[in-house]
Amino acid sequence: MWLGLFIGLAVYALFGIAPAVGNALISVSNYSGLIGSHTSFIGFHNYLALFTTQRPGFISSLTETLFFVVGVTVVQNALGMLMAHRLQGDTRGASLLRILVFLPIVLGVTVVGLIWLFLFDPSTGPAADALRSLGVQSAFFGSNSWAMPLVIIVQVWQNLGFTMVVFIGGLRAIPRDVYEAASLDGISRFRRFTRITWPLMAPSVTVNVLFAVIGSLTTYNLIYVLTTGLYNTNTLGMFSFNSAFGSSADLGLGAAVTTVLLILTILVALPVASLLRARERRILQ
Amino acid sequence: MTLHDDNGLFRNARRVYRASGAALIFVLFFIPIAYAVMISLESGTHFLNHPLVPQAVPTFQNFSAAWSQGDLGPELLNTILYSFVAAGISTALSVLLAFPISRALIKGSSALYRSFVIGICLPLPIIPLFVESRMLHLFDNRLGYIILHVEVGIPLGVLLLGAFIGSIPKELDEAAWLDGAGYLKYLAKIIVPLAWPSIIIIFLYSMLGVWNDIIGPIVFLATPSLFPVTRGVYNFYGTNQSEAPLLAAAVVIVSLPVVALFVMSQRQLLRSAMGSGVRARPNEL
Repeated sequence: MWLGLFIGLAVYALFGIAPAVGNALISVSNYSGLIGSHTSFIGFHNYLALFTTQRPGFISSLTETLFFVVGVTVVQNALGMLMAHRLQGDTRGASLLRILVFLPIVLGVTVVGLIWLFLFDPSTGPAADALRSLGVQSAFFGSNSWAMPLVIIVQVWQNLGFTMVVFIGGLRAIPRDVYEAASLDGISRFRRFTRITWPLMAPSVTVNVLFAVIGSLTTYNLIYVLTTGLYNTNTLGMFSFNSAFGSSADLGLGAAVTTVLLILTILVALPVASLLRARERRILQ
Repeated sequence: MTLHDDNGLFRNARRVYRASGAALIFVLFFIPIAYAVMISLESGTHFLNHPLVPQAVPTFQNFSAAWSQGDLGPELLNTILYSFVAAGISTALSVLLAFPISRALIKGSSALYRSFVIGICLPLPIIPLFVESRMLHLFDNRLGYIILHVEVGIPLGVLLLGAFIGSIPKELDEAAWLDGAGYLKYLAKIIVPLAWPSIIIIFLYSMLGVWNDIIGPIVFLATPSLFPVTRGVYNFYGTNQSEAPLLAAAVVIVSLPVVALFVMSQRQLLRSAMGSGVRARPNEL
């Protein structure tokens, strides 16, 4: 009778809990995963290496992560809100556009990444053609200055559908009579948004901001497809993956980066979550 | 000066603004996808000479070339096997876990529940999972790849289902148990049919997660005949970078199954996303 529960818990313990503990263990070792190599306990050496000059990529990885997280969170939520406002209706056109905007989520990072690599191919892509006519040339995803902004744009493009649909849910949950009462008072459209719509959709703002912050902090699969972390796009997750599975094959160092990312995620997500929840309570009580 | 709704000039301006917003959204989301489809129907020479003009008589040569050169057939079969089996097991285990946890039938239910919430928000510890896959002989084989992907969908599955099961009155359990219905029979006959819409959503999201995973196949697989389409197409890109039409054909082929699935399930997927930003009980998270 409890067999299913037992299997479920075993799977969770084995592939959910054990790796979390295992990560801490690996991070204090020099494990390389290569056959025949000797593994030993090296204390906090990996962590010290990160913060000293032995690993110069780490500090720039921190700033790249910051840039990516702030960029994605701001752009995704601002555009998501604008588009939700435009496409919240029940018309046929709006619902078809909603499906189109949601499509990149279903297509997945590999397909989406390749589509944008075609568009921004430095020699054959249409973006290069358009810029060449303006006298500008760029390697786009292979350029130190262009890669990060482009990666942010593609990440937002891929996830905007979800953000928008969550905001539409928030907009539709606002009771009609609130607006009717406001229209009797004759307030302007701008104030109708700032005084009614924005505060009353607080739960969807919480969900979307947290999703964007946590998602952009912890995922790197799209970055892998677009740049593999080169050209100033080596965010912490990407940095961890590259340390462990790149040519250095340093699993210990990669695990140490994951621990740093884990702590950073907690340090960022918890205050953001409690601020947003406090805001919700203040409004909805 | 205030804007009045009955002012014809402003109303027209607003209508134009609204239509242009929708048109802009259409362009931003349709053009990248349409471009990939367009060049997939062009011959190599046409693409190089007129990259932005669709070929008058489309060629399907790229599709047959991509299909055979890219091993897309076997890779699609691998992807279908991995994603359907892993998502099926994951969804079944989510049901078997969500019910006792949601009903607090086991000790530590709320701690478990909380650990699932935290688990969703933290970075996936890919390095210890790689080490585990080597130790447990799950590395580079089909069964292992499936087992490694079962856990990923469980936390979200338990949270979504747990919330739904919480809304099914407990009296129903007690009545059924008094009637002598067994635990599994009760789950299968009463809970599963009631929770069916949520179960479909959980299945779809975990399936999409496995289907679109690109990091997993790179870390857990080494033999090309085991590769799913994500890694297959990504490798195909690496070796044929200069032949965008051929690559675009591969991208279109591997996207067709997910797009078909999405067209069938878009209503449910969008509705569930819409509900996630609407909170009935603001003091929970």
